[in-house]
Amino acid sequence: MSENGLMVRLSGIAKGYGSGGSRVEVLRHLDLEVVRGELLAVVGPSGVGKSTLLHLIGLLDRPDDGTIELEGRDVTGADAERRAALRNRFMGFVFQYHYLLDELDARENVALPLRIAGRSSRAARERADLLLDEVGLAERGDHFPNQLSGGEQQRVAIARALAMSPPLLLADEPTGNLDRDNSERLFSLVRQLHLMEGLTSIIVTHNEEIAGRCDRVFYLVPVGK
Amino acid sequence: MGAELYLARRYLMGLRRRTHVATVTAISFVSLALGVLALVVTLALLEGFQSTIRGELISRTAHALILPRSGRRIPHHDRLVSVLQAKLADVEIVQVVRATCLVGPASDAIPTRVEGRSDIRGAEVDSVLAARLGIGPGDRVEVISPRRRLTPLGPVPVHTWLKITAVRPPVPGREGGALDLPLKQAQKLLWGRPVVGAIELRDPADPWGLATRIDRALGPLGSSLNVEGLRELHRPLLLALSLERAMIFLAVGLMLVVAALNLLCNVAMVAAEKRTDMAVLSGIGVGPSALRRLFLFLGLGIGAAGAVTGAIAGTVLALILNRTHALPLPRGVFIVSSVPFKVDPAMVAGVVGFALLLSLLAAWFPSRSVSLRDPAEGLRYE
Repeated sequence: MSENGLMVRLSGIAKGYGSGGSRVEVLRHLDLEVVRGELLAVVGPSGVGKSTLLHLIGLLDRPDDGTIELEGRDVTGADAERRAALRNRFMGFVFQYHYLLDELDARENVALPLRIAGRSSRAARERADLLLDEVGLAERGDHFPNQLSGGEQQRVAIARALAMSPPLLLADEPTGNLDRDNSERLFSLVRQLHLMEGLTSIIVTHNEEIAGRCDRVFYLVPVGK
Repeated sequence: MGAELYLARRYLMGLRRRTHVATVTAISFVSLALGVLALVVTLALLEGFQSTIRGELISRTAHALILPRSGRRIPHHDRLVSVLQAKLADVEIVQVVRATCLVGPASDAIPTRVEGRSDIRGAEVDSVLAARLGIGPGDRVEVISPRRRLTPLGPVPVHTWLKITAVRPPVPGREGGALDLPLKQAQKLLWGRPVVGAIELRDPADPWGLATRIDRALGPLGSSLNVEGLRELHRPLLLALSLERAMIFLAVGLMLVVAALNLLCNVAMVAAEKRTDMAVLSGIGVGPSALRRLFLFLGLGIGAAGAVTGAIAGTVLALILNRTHALPLPRGVFIVSSVPFKVDPAMVAGVVGFALLLSLLAAWFPSRSVSLRDPAEGLRYE
């Protein structure tokens, strides 16, 4: 951990898409610091670059300019293999849509990051069962994604994100596809796991109510406004 | 490596649930299996014929031939034969003398290759010469030697009358139309003294290695001699057989190339369908090289299933066709009565290896493209 307790630091981040006249600038001169243990909500209008920001922090994308530091280490220039290894060990992703693999059942989906990290099949299954129990799906481990409801699918996705006990949780509108009750239940679960697992969490959301229950809200405004 | 293999296996199993991809995968699998089957059966057929030909060569021709490096006579042939008999105990040794003579039952003699051999006791003609001259066992033929003898009337050709004792089939790899005599009779007729022009050797236990052993046995004694083994004696025929096999492999192998192209389309289709899955896998820590391996395993899995199925089916089919003599051949035209099939395990392994290599190449291009994809794009466009 960095000396000043910073988990994530973005400095002077710029990101755009396209080239020439059709280029769209999404982020410009963005600075952001997230301290260890913080639950941060990122809010803003559609198309402002919330998901892009999350992808940059999650090393799924590269900035056009600026630096990204995780626990004080500059990872901006890390190669693709190093980025993948960091994503596996350092962070867990929850997307708006569950993005579970249809070919694997709930338990196998949760165990997948552990299999990728080279853990034994047995150890991965045991950890997956524990996490499924934590998200209230202990009895649903053998079910495939198409046999689960939207809320259940998203809870499996959360369990998968926490499989490697990462210090950083990144969630991109995790309640975006759920009704009000399920959204409430899911956010409560995220908040509970955030505290229990000692996570640093960054949640992109449109939901003002959810954002209000986070430790801090980071507002993104369109470039040029 | 374990996670990619695990995922490739699960994707292959999961393909059954996706009708269009499953159909294309089934077509790739069947194409590869049929290609391998065709190649195995065709090569088994070729091997069947070629091993019959090689078997004929080994059973009916010399395995090595010793000739003088210059001239038509082997110097000190008696000593040479003694050395060979002493050093190569189990090898059959035949002394030979050859010349072209005029041979015929009466005045219509034709030029004929006459060979004196130490392993026969009577005059024998091959079936080609027998048919040409219209003769058979018990008939008498006149043999006019190229050797002249001086008479009060001037030099006249040496000639003799012989009684044919047997008609034998032509020797494979040698032009038909020959008369064989006992060595001493031939030496008297052709040279008038005990001359040996060549020594033929046979070792059924090691026919292909005999020439090398003769070279070793002769040592300095062989400096004035040429030793030719089976490969040298039948070089054009053996080269033609190898060339035939290579060309047939290439021609039928093209079927496998087409099947591999089909597999390429199949893997590319899965890669396109799994675009989001790949982005998610990237998100949870699968690196580009592991993604590439995942699709290589996927292609290799389909290829291996097709290749192994085709190899088993081809082997079984070739063995059944060979055992049941299902494809008869007209007697008297071919040396075998039915189309022979011989399955060589090394050949089957080679065909399977070739199919796997093609599968790997076919999967390489889509897998490379997957590994170069930007993971964020896969999520952005969903």
